[in-house]
Amino acid sequence: MKKKVLIYGAGAIGRGYLPWVYKPEFYEYYFVEKNKQIRDLLNSRKKYNSYMTIDGQYEKKTFELKICYSPGEEINELNNFSFICIAVGPRNFHNLIDNFIGTNIPIICFENDSSLSEKMKKITGNQNVVFGIPDVITSNTASDKFLKEDPLSIITENGECFIDDKVNHLGGECSYISKSELDIQWKAKLYIHNTTHCIAAYLGNLIGAKYLHNSMESEKIYKIVEGAMLEIKKMLSLRFKIKNDFLDYYSKKELSRFSNSKLYDPIARVAREPFRKLAKNERLIGAASLCLASGVVPINIIKGIIAAFCFEKEGDSDYYIKYLINSLEINDFLSIIIGLRKHEALFQLIVNNWDENLNEIKNLRNE
Amino acid sequence: MNNSEILEVAIKASVEAGKILMQNFEKNNSSFNIKESLRDISTEIDTMAEDTIIKILKKFDDEITIYTEEQGLVNDKSKNKYWIIDALDGTVNYINKIPFFCVSIAFVKDDKVETSAIFVPYFNDLYFAARGIGSFKNHQALKVGDCNFSDSLFAVSFSGKNHEPEMRKKEFELLGEVNDSSRGCLRTGSAALNLALLAEGSFDGSWGKANKYWDIAAGLLIAELAGNKLKKKMISKDNFLCSFIISKPSILKEITNKVQSKLKLF
Repeated sequence: MKKKVLIYGAGAIGRGYLPWVYKPEFYEYYFVEKNKQIRDLLNSRKKYNSYMTIDGQYEKKTFELKICYSPGEEINELNNFSFICIAVGPRNFHNLIDNFIGTNIPIICFENDSSLSEKMKKITGNQNVVFGIPDVITSNTASDKFLKEDPLSIITENGECFIDDKVNHLGGECSYISKSELDIQWKAKLYIHNTTHCIAAYLGNLIGAKYLHNSMESEKIYKIVEGAMLEIKKMLSLRFKIKNDFLDYYSKKELSRFSNSKLYDPIARVAREPFRKLAKNERLIGAASLCLASGVVPINIIKGIIAAFCFEKEGDSDYYIKYLINSLEINDFLSIIIGLRKHEALFQLIVNNWDENLNEIKNLRNE
Repeated sequence: MNNSEILEVAIKASVEAGKILMQNFEKNNSSFNIKESLRDISTEIDTMAEDTIIKILKKFDDEITIYTEEQGLVNDKSKNKYWIIDALDGTVNYINKIPFFCVSIAFVKDDKVETSAIFVPYFNDLYFAARGIGSFKNHQALKVGDCNFSDSLFAVSFSGKNHEPEMRKKEFELLGEVNDSSRGCLRTGSAALNLALLAEGSFDGSWGKANKYWDIAAGLLIAELAGNKLKKKMISKDNFLCSFIISKPSILKEITNKVQSKLKLF
């Protein structure tokens, strides 16, 4: 009998990647999605095409689903599922927590924030809430050709999925690992992947690139991303004593996946919500601060941070960043909006090199 | 000239004026003048900050009228649009070294506040809003939720003008009544700050009788676009006096009934 899995978020990870981990031979898919257009399409078609890039080729699968709920419709059915996966984005995650108070169903949180699963566990009292890391890039869209065939088409890499071994009975094509191993994977994901991924996106946005691989085609952007990765590697090695072999393997893999022209990874998706990424402990400011605290000067990460300050995307929930960066002097922007203090090394480093760095990244447009 | 350009200049002017306030906050040498009442005073710092704002606004567009608290009508050029500014709202707090003071700047077009910014320099907090864009504090979008009246915290803004004793008595009765039937009712000494705090959900409702419009214009927009419901009435266009009640939607009816039963604002 197939296991019933309820997946919150029918986006990149939820729809695009998880069915490759939990294969249709053994699992039935139920989704919860707030986007009405996607929900209606899923409910009317009951299936969609998903493509995995393997060695420069696509492997196609058509996944069938049982139902896609509107948020709230699923509440009375929760006990009928074998387990729940959540991939809705950190900002939406908090709205879901109350749904699970008093439950003990296994819940895997595939969010880009390791603290969220602990928070959910604490609030709900559910000890079966665990953290999962989808080490993969999945686009939330596809090429025009694929979309013409099926508007729900989605493309994913052949990634790896790491999950807390507390729920290893759930099966699937993934690695259930200990908390300490998960922590190393998370640090690599958070900094080597997340930091440089969004730097590539913000720089790409400046030159008008649509997809991440377009951004990486620029030699100058590639160099900045590679430089940022080197800074992160040094920091992870010095601060967390993570082995260099692993860091080298991970960085190489990331540079290659960012350049994957089969993925159609939209810059608008990767660069969305810049204020979240610019939070003090997050992938940009947080990574740069950790580098400085470890004796590594984050020259390239700072270029990425400045590119994030310059992010302009109509419709993004943080689109108003442009009004703030346009109107405030950089030291005011850093202290009022980003929350850096004037005596902090990162504050000084950004302010002292502001004109030079801003010119450099704005000149990328003229490349 | 669109709302986003106006917003950018409002933000810039409010922060620059805030710097002047902070540079002088710890100094104890500010002289002040008493205006309409013992609480209605101005300092030389008010004027310095105001001059800074005027300079920035005029540089942006010299064809727009500016109304200020201290200098009155400046640059009388446009009829249907104007800036209305209070370079230091909470002057009594300021001279008493209480950090509840702010800069308040609003842009009004066809009698409607379109864009505004409030900067609270001591706390380094910037509130801003524009129609079609939203309401924000620093990097966060503001959106208030709902609440019950008994769990609500209110803020009241008294007019700086001297009222007739009977009306003042009613205002204090109302304050006491709301204070005893809710979490409380505060008078912070800055109407603009009351409204900024309402926008971020720290306060749940606020009202003011015959407040100066430069004190409240910016804050009313920020609070309203954050999801609060507003009732207001311009009492005197010439003197820029305005009465208002604003709160989270769920308690507007109740607070309105209480305020109206005592003060008949509308």
